Amino acid sequence: MAIITISRLNGSLGEELADQLKSRLQCEIITRSYALENFFGDLPAEVTERLNESAKYFLTTLPDSNETYKDILIKRLKQIASRRENIIIMGLGGCVIFKDDPRAVSIRVYADEKTRIDRLSRRYNIDEEEAESSIAIGDRKHKRFVSILFEQDLSSSDLYDLALNTDRLSVEECADAVMALISKHDLRQKISMETQDNKVIDHQTSNVVFKNPTEEEFARILDMYNIEWMYEPKTFPIEWDSEGNIKMAFSPDFYLPKFNIYLELTTMDQKYVTKKNKKARMVMELYPGTNVRIVYKKDFLALAERFKQFGG
Amino acid sequence: MTDVLDGSLSINKIVYDRDVINQRVLELGKKITEDYHGEEVVLIGVIKGALYFFSDLTKAIDLPIKIDMIGFGNIPDTTSKTGVVRITKDIDVDITDKHVIIVEDVIRTGLTTAYLSSCLESKKPKDISLCTLLLNPNRLLMTIPVKYYGFEIDDRWLIGYGLDNNEIGRNLPYIAELSRKD
Repeated sequence: MAIITISRLNGSLGEELADQLKSRLQCEIITRSYALENFFGDLPAEVTERLNESAKYFLTTLPDSNETYKDILIKRLKQIASRRENIIIMGLGGCVIFKDDPRAVSIRVYADEKTRIDRLSRRYNIDEEEAESSIAIGDRKHKRFVSILFEQDLSSSDLYDLALNTDRLSVEECADAVMALISKHDLRQKISMETQDNKVIDHQTSNVVFKNPTEEEFARILDMYNIEWMYEPKTFPIEWDSEGNIKMAFSPDFYLPKFNIYLELTTMDQKYVTKKNKKARMVMELYPGTNVRIVYKKDFLALAERFKQFGG
Repeated sequence: MTDVLDGSLSINKIVYDRDVINQRVLELGKKITEDYHGEEVVLIGVIKGALYFFSDLTKAIDLPIKIDMIGFGNIPDTTSKTGVVRITKDIDVDITDKHVIIVEDVIRTGLTTAYLSSCLESKKPKDISLCTLLLNPNRLLMTIPVKYYGFEIDDRWLIGYGLDNNEIGRNLPYIAELSRKD
């Protein structure tokens, strides 16, 4: 599940990226025109026009209500995001509204001004001066909207998880990057949520640093089979002293999200096998629903052998 | 049949002879026939190990099944110095919205089975089940649902009836435990 907010400069291919993501994720794009048509009931034409043109008008209160258009915009966007599996929010200050939502991934799409002018002039068959003016007006309008409604600078990198420069990247390449990001992000969120109420320590934001070459080779074997893995994503406390301090913990080497299973390698020294088996059993008892399997030396050697046969 | 093996291999003992294998394959065929009566089912054999088992099993199923085979191998990849496993022989039969049974010779860690299963999932079958002649449940690393299996095995080094050692020994009509000639 993902909430994707896209903030784009005019002519940066942000709309095209949103369309590509929409077709891949089979979800809806919430644009400003969608919001104006669906969020505020039947609006008189002049109100729609004012909301379209003036950011300040979003701060006014609706007739017979104490809510502003901004309040309703935020409320409705959050409602939609909570009900849909995936949603793309185009502009509308989505990067600010969902800044603290762990499900959200905020994307900034930009390109060099010259590139954008060139794109617009060719697409709409207008001269460069006209394209430049159109870009300036559009960019200013987006910036002003976020500044007035949320007192934030749209160009601030703090608001984004990923910035994509379409000077050299195609829409497809950008979509691939976003898809890869949301897939990992979604997974990480899921794993964090599963055990957020207990004392499990989440390492998922750490870099992968293998402790030994065996682990690295095992990761390569999993890669070879296109099996997604995470390295030591969590530490499970399994024994506490009388004051509640952790006495013993267990960090399985790998987690395979698709199979919901943790794997612990015991290839280095077989004398640790019994100890590791005990720890694995304790984790499964203390954290119901958690599966841990031990990868014995023999398994690893057989896999490594197969890996070599395949050309690894 | 010892001429089937080259000089570096010798048989310690026959683990499953022809009659035992035939009997078990007939039982599996009967079970699949009962389970999938009136359903559209496609059996997919994994090249090359499952060749003999697949051939005998499909003949033991009394249903209008469709059959196909799938193969995989290592392909060089620009993002990985070790390459990646890819399908080298894809299926030709349409499996969309059909029951699929992947037929393997042996499942040990389950890594290749998991890979094949996930590749076939993208073709939107109704469901995917696994059938293997030999299963080593103590070595399974993946949580894969093996619906049918012929025999549970341990860590013995087996050959024959599709199982090989460097491509030798597949055509033995029985399954034997190997001992290395030193």
